[in-house]
Amino acid sequence: MATESKAATEDAKIDLFEDDDEFEEFEIDEEWDDKEEGKEAMQQWEDEWDDDDVNDDFSVQLKRELESNVEKS
Amino acid sequence: MAYMSMGEAHRRITEFLNRFSEAVFSQDGPSLKPLLAVSSNSANLLSLADALRVFQDASRLIKQSDKYSQLGEIIVPLLRSFQSSRIGHVVDAYNAFEKSANAFLQEFRNWESAWAMEPVYTIAYEIRVLAERADRELASMGKNPEKLKGAGSFLMKVFGALAGKGPKRVGALYVTCQLFKVYFKLGTVHLCRSVIRSIETAKIFDFEEFPMRDKVTYMYYTGRLEVFNENFLAADQKLTYALMHCNPRSEGNIRMILKYLIPVKLSIGILPKMWLLEKYNLVEYSDVVKALKRGDLRLLRHALQEHEDQFLRSGVYLVLEKLELQVYQRLVKKIYIIQKQRDPSKAHQVKLEVIVKALKWLEMDKDVDEVECIMAILIYKNLMKGYFAHKSKVVVLSKQDPFPKLNGNPVNS
Repeated sequence: MATESKAATEDAKIDLFEDDDEFEEFEIDEEWDDKEEGKEAMQQWEDEWDDDDVNDDFSVQLKRELESNVEKS
Repeated sequence: MAYMSMGEAHRRITEFLNRFSEAVFSQDGPSLKPLLAVSSNSANLLSLADALRVFQDASRLIKQSDKYSQLGEIIVPLLRSFQSSRIGHVVDAYNAFEKSANAFLQEFRNWESAWAMEPVYTIAYEIRVLAERADRELASMGKNPEKLKGAGSFLMKVFGALAGKGPKRVGALYVTCQLFKVYFKLGTVHLCRSVIRSIETAKIFDFEEFPMRDKVTYMYYTGRLEVFNENFLAADQKLTYALMHCNPRSEGNIRMILKYLIPVKLSIGILPKMWLLEKYNLVEYSDVVKALKRGDLRLLRHALQEHEDQFLRSGVYLVLEKLELQVYQRLVKKIYIIQKQRDPSKAHQVKLEVIVKALKWLEMDKDVDEVECIMAILIYKNLMKGYFAHKSKVVVLSKQDPFPKLNGNPVNS
């Protein structure tokens, strides 16, 4: 139908105009406390996650799976 | 709309003209700025547009008066823009505004001080926003949407007017960021290169002198470009800067920064805490993080599939897909640790068969040869230290640090 295909073209074209992640404008005079900002978000990372702990569920199941063959052979 | 008399219309128009010319002649940027903000739809501007419709001869008014005629080239099209905008003729509104903006820019070049910087910011913003509206309308009519591209050209001219030694140069970063928004929207991000080069290499610019809000925006966009180009260290540095200095109350912006920073951090072996993902609603990454922690290849695949559309749209899909190698590393490491618990003396020898079995359990059908190939890649990329006993189909791991951590560096390419 003419109207349907028109709508489809609109959608396709409107897609072209999307950058989902356009940064929101700051107000021209917007200032903020430079010391406190981002501190929270900056501390939410871990680099010591790669430990030797194999007591989690996944590792326990993995162990079981690997051992099951040993018994068979 | 309430009836407006001719007299009232005349009064409102004259009031606007007075405010405009006063602001220019007394070099009052903050007062001039709102008089240019077509898209703001402020009550004043809307009633001005109504007045213009009633009193239809504003241009004559302007040309006849000494006070206003000097600014005629700016004001006449500006008034037309208000009128067109009011009645939803968005393409005309853009065209008229572009004319006004060009005339304003010409005058701006002649003013030595930077008094009109705020009005210029407003113009830079408005031209982009009005162009976007116009292009949406053009596209919906089946016509060629070329206004945003035109706005981009205008913004380059503005940039040129600011790229000098004088006080106006402080505005260059704001205009750069408007250009980024234009290019990202058009998908012509390669055009960012020339402004970036100007900002970063021209001696007239000192990055630190720019306002923080512009620096944050700049680092966000250039950080995203580094992600596209897979320069993860540079991406980490820029996006982290943006995160660190962003207004903590701009949660939307923080979320956007994190959306791109998280895949980068994952690529250099650093994981976000669940708290962060939940607070900023980025839970599409939570299974990816879990998969890395566990060594769970099935979970990684599942996560990529489930959020494929999102990841493709933001352009991070390939970055996340490449994490597979790191997940393999984690899985083999777990197998090694499990073996060590059972029999420490033999742990450093890992049979390929065992890995095949583990992969099968994770619903990944790979034969011994394929696994050998993957192990070879892990060793080549320094994710695993050891060598291959090909005949016996065994990986012999180094006794010292067989699974080197990334330590903030991306996987060797």
